[in-house]
Amino acid sequence: MKKYYLGIDVGSVSTNLVLLDDQGSLVYRDYLKTMGQPIKVVQEGLKILKERMGDVSIAGAGTTGSGRKLAGIMVGADVVKNEITTHAVAALDTNPAVNTILEIGGQDSKIIILRDGIVSDFAMNTVCAAGTGSFLDRQAARLQIPIEEFGDLALKSTTEVRVAGRCAVFAESDMIHKQQLGHRVEDIVYGLCQALVRNYLNNLGKGKDIKPPVMFQGGVAANRGIREAFRRELGMEIEVPTHYDVMGAIGAALIAREAVKSRGITSFKGLDVSQCRFGVRPIDCGGCANMCEIVEIIRDGVGIACWGDRCGKWSSRVGKYA
Amino acid sequence: MPKVGIPRALLYYNYFPLWKVFFEELGAEVVLSGLTNKKILDDGVNCCVDDACLPMKVFHGHAVHLKDRVDYLFVPRLISVEKNEYICPKFCGLPDMVINSIEGLPKVIDCTINLRDGNKSLRKAVLEVGGLFTGSLSRIYNAYQKASAELADYERLMLNGATPLEALNGNGPPPADYQYSIGLIGHPYNIYDNYVSMSIIEKLRGRGINVLTQDMVCKEELDRIAEGFTKPMFWSFGKKIMAASSYLIDQRNVRGIIYLVAFGCGLDALVGDLVERRIRKKGVPFCMITIDEHTGEAGVDTRLEAFIDMLEWRDTQKCL
Repeated sequence: MKKYYLGIDVGSVSTNLVLLDDQGSLVYRDYLKTMGQPIKVVQEGLKILKERMGDVSIAGAGTTGSGRKLAGIMVGADVVKNEITTHAVAALDTNPAVNTILEIGGQDSKIIILRDGIVSDFAMNTVCAAGTGSFLDRQAARLQIPIEEFGDLALKSTTEVRVAGRCAVFAESDMIHKQQLGHRVEDIVYGLCQALVRNYLNNLGKGKDIKPPVMFQGGVAANRGIREAFRRELGMEIEVPTHYDVMGAIGAALIAREAVKSRGITSFKGLDVSQCRFGVRPIDCGGCANMCEIVEIIRDGVGIACWGDRCGKWSSRVGKYA
Repeated sequence: MPKVGIPRALLYYNYFPLWKVFFEELGAEVVLSGLTNKKILDDGVNCCVDDACLPMKVFHGHAVHLKDRVDYLFVPRLISVEKNEYICPKFCGLPDMVINSIEGLPKVIDCTINLRDGNKSLRKAVLEVGGLFTGSLSRIYNAYQKASAELADYERLMLNGATPLEALNGNGPPPADYQYSIGLIGHPYNIYDNYVSMSIIEKLRGRGINVLTQDMVCKEELDRIAEGFTKPMFWSFGKKIMAASSYLIDQRNVRGIIYLVAFGCGLDALVGDLVERRIRKKGVPFCMITIDEHTGEAGVDTRLEAFIDMLEWRDTQKCL
């Protein structure tokens, strides 16, 4: 029976599942909206996987993304890795020569600088979401353009319209101003793409040595307007991998494969995890003035993990659960 | 016995043993506020002016926490702690901010410490504060001598790698078998306050990494490096942070440097960039982590994890 490796990336906007075979080729991929319900969407994703692929033998599983811990506990992941590492691993697998990775997701964006196949520097956006997918989503909604058409519309632009990109709030008022002046929608839309790219390069690219080959991944890489804006701003070709939107999940699966190879055993609980009843129990710990907001993850009526505390009183119970 | 309240914030991490012994030798009881927690931070945010930085807000919270339990609240007006140098201007106005932002305060001891032109003002401040508790000049003098010796012991423990919490208990760093070292730099009140820093030191140590800070490098070394700056750095903390990053890389062989900055810190905004350029020139990995009032630990954890992965990946050529 063929062996497969599962990668799950639970992000703020989307949850992605991929299945790689032993050679690391992608045999299955799914892109679901997280909708703020990570537990539900992971179960849903596993259920769909089973329906489409049948009872495949999964030899290892890895999770990543902001919901990696939760997903990791649910499925019994072999590795729970941060997004920087998984994105870098997946990009290197696609193109071992890659020197720069631009990644823009729903609520965060990162730049990863690689040299000789090793991460040498990275940056993530700090407190501001102006350089991320949500910014575009928000502005697209304002202009009543479906986000899927946003990029192609931007490419129709013929005249440059400069929109302030430092802050989403200013961008919005600037955009309204440009609309009132009578600028064409496509020019404004491309102006927004340029604003996002400027913001990204100013915040994250500051002081970084951006060298080709440059790979652009994450959900926003679907937007051809942004790709074009990056190409012009950086003056170099931008490579978008075939599976640009599930690269995190691919990286998690690749790392899981390595981990299982060295350990010889997987802790994956099986696809039937989708049949379990998962729940969360919020606990307001009154143990001290920190008043930590604890969350206990419950599977079929039994607590399997706890987190959210600062002192370890609750989270240290994880060991006892396992 | 009069009670003197000392907020566990800002320069507490640098001078607490001095202050404590000084007041105790003068017959006062020192009351220290508790470890920073959510309530203290919330109280601080509520009463402090809105655009102050996080550590100032934390200080206000500690002052609120102490005010009803003490006869005096110690909020010195610190202008300079080193000759020809300054510290952040917010410290000059700290007593005014506290007095005008918090109601129902006990008497505030707000002596001015300004060592920019030498030690004269320190003498004045010591006598002024001592005079609140005793009329005997020799007693004040002896108290200060003893307090200074206590501070020297504390600083010695820190030079050996102890965190303030460990050094205050008279301990060195816990014995451990670390794989390698990382430099952690930033204002002491950011890196040593476990609530504010989200226990960054413990997290790194837990991963088998030795943590070295600017307070674990002796002053002479730092001064020597600072002399080589193209322009004198007149901020005491900025100088220390900048010089220490060079020292830790060149002399202590740290694999990477993490700079913990508080959102809204004017000094960190400038020094951060200078430090980053110097470190990058040396080809050493650098990571700046910004902290604020938010409690989302995931952001800090992801960056830390990715940074450690990167260091180990560079070393072993493997990302696992």
